[in-house]
Parts: sequence; structure tokens; C-alpha cells
Amino acid sequence: MAVIAFSTPKEPIHTGLPIKGFLPLTAPSIVLMLFFAIPMGMMIGISFQSQTAGGPTFASYSRFFSNDLVLAGLTRTVVMSGLVAISVTVLAYPLAYYLARSTSRWRTIIFALAIAPELAGVVLRTYGWLIILEDRGFINSALMWTGMISEPLPLSKNLFGVVVGLTHVILPFGVLSLLTSLQGINPNLEKSAQILGASRLDVIRHIILPLSVPGIVSSLLIGFTMAASAYATPALLGGAGFKVMATMVYEQVLFYLDWPFAAVMANVLLILMLTAGFVGSRLESRLHQKLHL
Amino acid sequence: MRFSALCASALVTMGLAASGHAETLIVNSYGGPYETIIRERIIEPFEAKFGIDVVYDAVGSASQDYAKIKATNGRPGFDVVVMTASQSLEGCKEGLLEEFSPDEVPNLVHLSSVIAGVAGPCGAVHEVQYLSLLYRKDKLPEQPNSWNALLDDRLEGKIILPTFQNVMAAYLMEIFSVAHGGDLLDNVDPGFAAMAKLAGQSIGFEQSSSVMETYIKGGEVWAMPFWNGRAQLLVDSGLPVDYVLPKEGSIPLVATLNVPKHAANREAALRFVNFFLEKASQEAWVTGYKVGSVRTDIDVPDDIRARQITTEADLKALLLPDLAAVASRLSAWGERWERDVVAVAK
Repeated sequence: MAVIAFSTPKEPIHTGLPIKGFLPLTAPSIVLMLFFAIPMGMMIGISFQSQTAGGPTFASYSRFFSNDLVLAGLTRTVVMSGLVAISVTVLAYPLAYYLARSTSRWRTIIFALAIAPELAGVVLRTYGWLIILEDRGFINSALMWTGMISEPLPLSKNLFGVVVGLTHVILPFGVLSLLTSLQGINPNLEKSAQILGASRLDVIRHIILPLSVPGIVSSLLIGFTMAASAYATPALLGGAGFKVMATMVYEQVLFYLDWPFAAVMANVLLILMLTAGFVGSRLESRLHQKLHL
Repeated sequence: MRFSALCASALVTMGLAASGHAETLIVNSYGGPYETIIRERIIEPFEAKFGIDVVYDAVGSASQDYAKIKATNGRPGFDVVVMTASQSLEGCKEGLLEEFSPDEVPNLVHLSSVIAGVAGPCGAVHEVQYLSLLYRKDKLPEQPNSWNALLDDRLEGKIILPTFQNVMAAYLMEIFSVAHGGDLLDNVDPGFAAMAKLAGQSIGFEQSSSVMETYIKGGEVWAMPFWNGRAQLLVDSGLPVDYVLPKEGSIPLVATLNVPKHAANREAALRFVNFFLEKASQEAWVTGYKVGSVRTDIDVPDDIRARQITTEADLKALLLPDLAAVASRLSAWGERWERDVVAVAK
């Protein structure tokens, strides 16, 4: 009988002086401080600057929360990121499960194919989708040539096109996070359940899905945060009317030259992603408790 | 004694090494045909005349380059950059760009004050284009001579517009504003009303001029606004297209040479700017890149003079908005564009 055990070392490992334990953290801490913490602090500072002369101001924050176009962009970002996170996880799950359990010689090839999209740049892949989805693209041309449609279907320059493009870009990350989680589930659990009379569906519902919750949450979080911060795919596949936070930040920095407002947008985007991470980790821990894992 | 000899020989070696290496100048501008022409017509003659090696950096658009100058507080890693009059004004106001003086850039005095002043003291205007109406000759047998031709029913679904983040959009709106009874800055309601109508019959919006170009090349689009220099390159490529300066007039794209405040090779940068404004250089540039010049004393063939801005009369015929005032209104106009124009597009 298989036993699930989350083991921890019984005795803490003493390495002499406490400071030695932190030594491995030195290099990453310096890198994070130089290239993340300090720039983040500067960005927060810029968000309180005034476009004209004067001291610190909340004017850019006030403008952000009173502007319906900007708030619509924020809502669009949340909806887009949520849809991408769900579609990445739903598509990645069966693939990751196959890779975790299969002993076929095709496994390596399928794994390579699942990761292969990462070998091409985001812009290249997005242009690929543009060629497929646009009005004069492959799908619409083929459908019109066969006479199935008389007008092009709206496959690009909208939410649908962006979600398809981003799902393709982020899918390998979803596969990897789910694969790690599914590989951690002891296969004997499934065999035992089936020996005891559980159907395949029962095994999935009562054993595999609950035990892979950390991987599912991780995949959802990766999908959400990567989609929320993506620029190239929404800019190219979304069209002029599809503004999300990342594209709006770009416009403010480069075209309107309003860096304080851009900093406010970037800060709100960061808070959105931190909130998603917090909610995700809380959800995961609640599910763990509920399932008595 | 031996130590002194060593020091002397080291100094001589260093001196020889220094004299063996030519001065270097980093010029940041555009890629594509622009790079080929600027290398051949400006950079190579400059290198030959001054013995300065030019490193050409084609990475980034003008707005990206300006952002880099702003982020590095005037130390972007290049010495000369090609931007626009709007960025010249903004950079000068922020103290990020070098102010030019006739003492250091003598050729400035030869530029027409009509346009040269528009860019402020930090921008040396080396080129001027105008917003033209580009059209397919095989689809529109009659040459359109008015911006209102874009509103013609025959062009429904056959035009494309720039997004507001391409400055062409704001200029087109201002031109329509003037043509329909408004003005360039304060009363732009007629301009937005016309743009909303135009959006109703356009197939959409594209930010990049090079992407817009693909639509007219492919024949999906029959007419669109386009900078006349790029339009001329399309004409020269043999496509069945032509362009006009419509009777209501046009707003120019004033391109400038700028030197960041803390450029590493300031002296060489100023020499380059001055060299680009030489009469011979301007003639080479106008005939090579097919654009206008604000040096009205240049000699160019009649066919080029007929299509480009090269005379004082051409310059005076342009609509010239106050670029600083335009910059202060861009954000509000951008929001209005989203509500009034993008919202009605198909």
C-alpha cells in the first residue's frame, strides 16, 4: 500500500556559523537588489512625480482610477490573462500526464515538440499566428476558397486572436510545471485504486486531480502572470482597439512621454500579479487542507 | 636612467598607438533603405573628409532612442541621433540634448528660418517630408487632389489609417480639422468628426508605416496617408502607385539631427551635424533619399524639385502647428481618438 508522505529532516542540519547558511544567497540577493529592487523603487518614486514642476503628487494615481479607458484596459488585461491561464492549463494537463506516465519511445519526441515553440522568439511565433488568423490569412482564405464562408471570420485583432497566440507562447511553461507535479504522484496509487475497483474516471477525479493541485495552481499562475505582462502578442494580434496594461505602458513611455503615468500603470500591473500569486497560494493551501493532504 | 628611458619609450608607444586609431563616432538612425543611402551619401564622404570612423547603429525607432536618452540622462551610448522636431523640443526642455550654435555648426545659418525654428535650438533640421495622399493608380484612374477623396464611397473598405501612436494620425486629424473649418490646435472638433467618418470606411489601423505599406502593395488598400519620402520610394520601386500633396495642404515631418547632452564624442558629433547640413550633402541626401530640405539654396533636378519641399514658397505653404502645444494635447487627443475614432471602425 502506497503512503503519501511529506517528509522533513528530523534533525536540522547545522553548518556551523549561521551566516554560512546565507552565503549561497549572496549572489542572487545582490543581483535581485541591483536589477529588481532598486529599479522597482525608482519606478515607485517616478509614479509620484509630477509631469510639470512640483513636489510628489498622487495626480497620476487619481487619473488612473478615474479614467474609464484605462480601467477598461485593466479589466481587459484581467479577462485576457484569466482566459489564457485556463486554456494553457487545460491544454497542458493531458499532455503533461501523458509525458509523466508514458514509457513509449515517442515520449521524448512529444516532449521535444511540446517545448519546441520556445526555440522561436515570441515575435516570430506571433507573426506566425497573424498569418494564420488575419482576415486574408490561411484559415479565412481556405474557408472562403471552399465556399464555407463569404466574409472573413473575425479571428484576429480581438480577444480571441490574442488568447490563441498567448496560449501557444505560454503552453510549454504550463506543461513543465504540471509535469513536475504529476511526476511526483506515485503511479502505484492509481494501480491500487484500480485493483480496488475504481474506474479510470474515479482515479482521475479522486486521486490524480487532487494530488496535482500544486501543479495546476502553478500553471494557472504562470499563465496569468506571463499573459498579464505580455506586450508583443497583444500589440500584434490585438489590433488598435485592444489595449492592455502592457501596451498602454509602452504608449505612455514612448509616445506620450508621460513616465509618471506609465509608472502608475506598471505598479498596478505588479500589484495585480502579486494579488494573483497570493490568491493562488491561499487557494492551494485551502485545497490541501480540504483534501487532507 | 633606465627608468626614464622606459617611461619615454612607453609614452612614444602610447602616442603612436593613439595616432594609429582614428576617432570614432556613433550615429544612431534607421535601418532599411535609409541605412544604405545614408552610408553611401553622407557617412562615407564624412569619414573620407575627416578621418573619423562612423559606427552606424540602426537599432530602435526615434521614440525608442529618445526614451533611451531620457533614461540615461543624456548618456545613451551614441553621439548623433536622428529624431523629430517634437523630440528635439522635449529633449531641449529637459536639458537632455546639446544646444547648437552657429559658431559650432556654421551651416545652421543656411537653413530656412520658416522650419528650422520649429525644432528649437537642439534640433538641426536635415530633412523634411510632408504627409501625402498615396493611392493606387490602377484602381483610381483619376488622381485625387483633395484629402476629402478618402471619404469617397468608392473607397469604402479600401483605406487604412495609422494608429494614434503613429504621429501621422494626429497630423491627419489636424489637416482635416483645417479643411473642415476648424484649426490646428484649439478647435479640432471638425477634424475628429472627419476622422470618425474615415474610420467607418477603413479596414483598420496599423501603427507601423512599413506594415501599412504592405496593404497598398498587396492591393487591399487603394489610398492612405503616407510620408512622401517613403511614398516616393514605392513609386521608384515600380509599383502602380503615386502620391499627391492635396490642395488643402499638409503638415511636414521635420526630421532632426540631435546630439545627446553627454555624448562621448561631442566634437566629432558637431562636425557630423555640420557636414550633413553642407550644401553638397543636402543635395546628395535629397536626390538619394527623395525628401525635402530646408536649405533652399540647393541645386536639384527639376523632377525632384517638383515633388519635394525645396523652396521657400514650398515651406511657407505647409501647415505648421506649434509642436510644443501639440505635445501637450496628445494625451487628451489620444483618448478622444479611442472614443470617437477607433470605436466606430469596422
